[in-house]
Amino acid sequence: MEITHEQISDGLRRAKYVTNERVETAIFLALALEKPLLIEGPAGAGKTEVAKVVAEILHTELIRLQCYEGLDEARALYEWNYQKQLLRMQAGENQGLRWEELSEHIFSRDFLLERPLLRAITSASRVVLLIDEIDKADEEFEAFLLELLSDFQISVPELGTLKAHERPAVILTSNRARELSEALRRRCLHLFIDFPGTEQERKIIELKVPELDAKLAAEAARFVGAIRKLGLRKPPSIAETLDWARALVRLGVRELDTDAVRTALGVLLKHEDDRAKVEAKASSLAPRRR
Amino acid sequence: MAGLRDQIVTFIAALRDGGVRISVAESIDAVNAVAVVGLERERMREGLAAALIKDEADRTVFDESFERFFAMPRAVRGTHPDQWGEQVSAGAGRGKPGNDPSPLDDAPVRKPDDPREGAGASRRDEKSQAPDAKHAKKGSATRREGAEHEDGARDSDKEHGRERGEADARDESQAPGIDAARVARLRALERRPFDQYSILDYDEAREALAPLIRRFRIRLGRRLRLAKKGKIDFRRTIRAAMQHGGALIDLNFRARRPRHVDLVILADISGSVRYAAQLMLELMAGARECFRRVSSFVYVDHLAEADFEQGHLVMTPALDLYARSDFGRVLGELWERRTGLLTRATLVVIMGDARNNRLPARADVIREIARVCRGVVWLNPEDPARWGTGDSAIKQYAREVKAVAPSRNLRELQAALAAIR
Repeated sequence: MEITHEQISDGLRRAKYVTNERVETAIFLALALEKPLLIEGPAGAGKTEVAKVVAEILHTELIRLQCYEGLDEARALYEWNYQKQLLRMQAGENQGLRWEELSEHIFSRDFLLERPLLRAITSASRVVLLIDEIDKADEEFEAFLLELLSDFQISVPELGTLKAHERPAVILTSNRARELSEALRRRCLHLFIDFPGTEQERKIIELKVPELDAKLAAEAARFVGAIRKLGLRKPPSIAETLDWARALVRLGVRELDTDAVRTALGVLLKHEDDRAKVEAKASSLAPRRR
Repeated sequence: MAGLRDQIVTFIAALRDGGVRISVAESIDAVNAVAVVGLERERMREGLAAALIKDEADRTVFDESFERFFAMPRAVRGTHPDQWGEQVSAGAGRGKPGNDPSPLDDAPVRKPDDPREGAGASRRDEKSQAPDAKHAKKGSATRREGAEHEDGARDSDKEHGRERGEADARDESQAPGIDAARVARLRALERRPFDQYSILDYDEAREALAPLIRRFRIRLGRRLRLAKKGKIDFRRTIRAAMQHGGALIDLNFRARRPRHVDLVILADISGSVRYAAQLMLELMAGARECFRRVSSFVYVDHLAEADFEQGHLVMTPALDLYARSDFGRVLGELWERRTGLLTRATLVVIMGDARNNRLPARADVIREIARVCRGVVWLNPEDPARWGTGDSAIKQYAREVKAVAPSRNLRELQAALAAIR
């Protein structure tokens, strides 16, 4: 299926993902050139969401591999199903099968437990493979990914090299907990998603929390934008902004004055010192009453 | 399309001149990307960026070069395409987009009273246009569809609209760029040598230290932890084998006893290296939990215990920061305190330039210390080329310690600290 730039922008709009030209072009290129897309940016800026939206646009399955320290090939790629193999061997002994026949049999696809990466490669249709928080995985695992990312193939010693019929759309995300290697960066297209600007955030709030008054939405967006610039320990993510907007609706806030800001601040800020910092400045940050 | 391809190749060369690392594979990607996204300016910009820029810190260089190479065709500019090439190569050769004096760079649409100095000025211009663009925002949402229906007669109008839309988009993408800006700043700061620090740099470095500490703690923790290999745990192996009908498929290893490391830090806080020393103390204080015990000392001509209270360095007793540093005496004092402090589990990290004012170096004491401890590591914030010159005693100490690591800037300091074990 040939993909056009317009399809992507349409799809993003339909999925209610507010974005800019940069994100659109990067996604489009990743799909058109069939290259992996590495997305970096602060936590909560919508990196993982991109993968979900892409899966929605392509009308396909999203296969997700969550990385963590100590993730190994057995968890990410494949594993032999030992129990099943043993059962098969015992059954084979009773039937008096020769070892050659047996070994050919027990190292076949039937005895392979597919983990996300192998599943993405062997899938019959084009899937979206999300390798989430690659920075959390060990460096060895990153090196191991290189073969997959450049050639979309995986070597299983007993079966040979498995090549993808349909190249999956691969999306990697990173929070920069550590530097990724040059080799990995070289193989991917790169996209940096930052927190949205005030205008963009207002659109997001209006789309996702339509109950909130339009004027209040704009003020909320401006307020969140302002407190992100304070250099907090954990600046509020988009999801938290939306939670806050919903909280404002539930609290029946009509005007975003100092008191209103204070009441629901816990939704937005998750560290006590951040909260103290913002509360001290709340009066200057809260939009003036007209 | 050969012309465009050449242009992209020259563009990539300019980026490389600007310090961006681009491989051949990436330049192929870039050409493919342009082929796919087409020549609409913003799309081409983002397409090239996705293929070429793998680190947000490089984005500024990219944007500046892009402005220079793929400038908007304007009435004045479009006299002859050859002129473009000249301008490009001239700009690329100089490698400094900031002061391109070319008169062609000025656009007639700009206000005449603006001071113009190339890229910097044009950015200011965009800022000044921003309020204007805000008004046009409603229009700019439907700009693309609108623009497609416009005919050639309204070309200049379209031109102007697009330019405004672009300023708009930039304004939007740059306004929130908190994280991108932070990353870029951190990069620059990490590479700045300590001996060029001002007090402002130091404050900035301290603010930037929080994420560094986190990263550092992870690295150090991983290094100090041992691989899970060792003696086989027979019981657990047999138990696991029961699952496979008695076949020994998985071997289980006995967990190793966690390794305890006590850390003793000695940092010179005399004028020449104090920023480096304080940043190191703070970095190590953040990674305290990786060790069983951490004792920090600072010294000039005497030894003093150091601690951090609410981010401020507190030393007991107070030291005269302007005294002549005497490391030999400090070593002697440490040696006197060795009971309970220096054991086989102790790792001693010394930070200092080892400039001893020609006083006795006492390398023999350091040999003794190295003998009773797990190891002594020396971090030297001085340029390695200057080691051993003048009154520097580092060469004498280097013979006795396990390693001497240069730590001229935050990056080197982190690498050196993360390598200790």
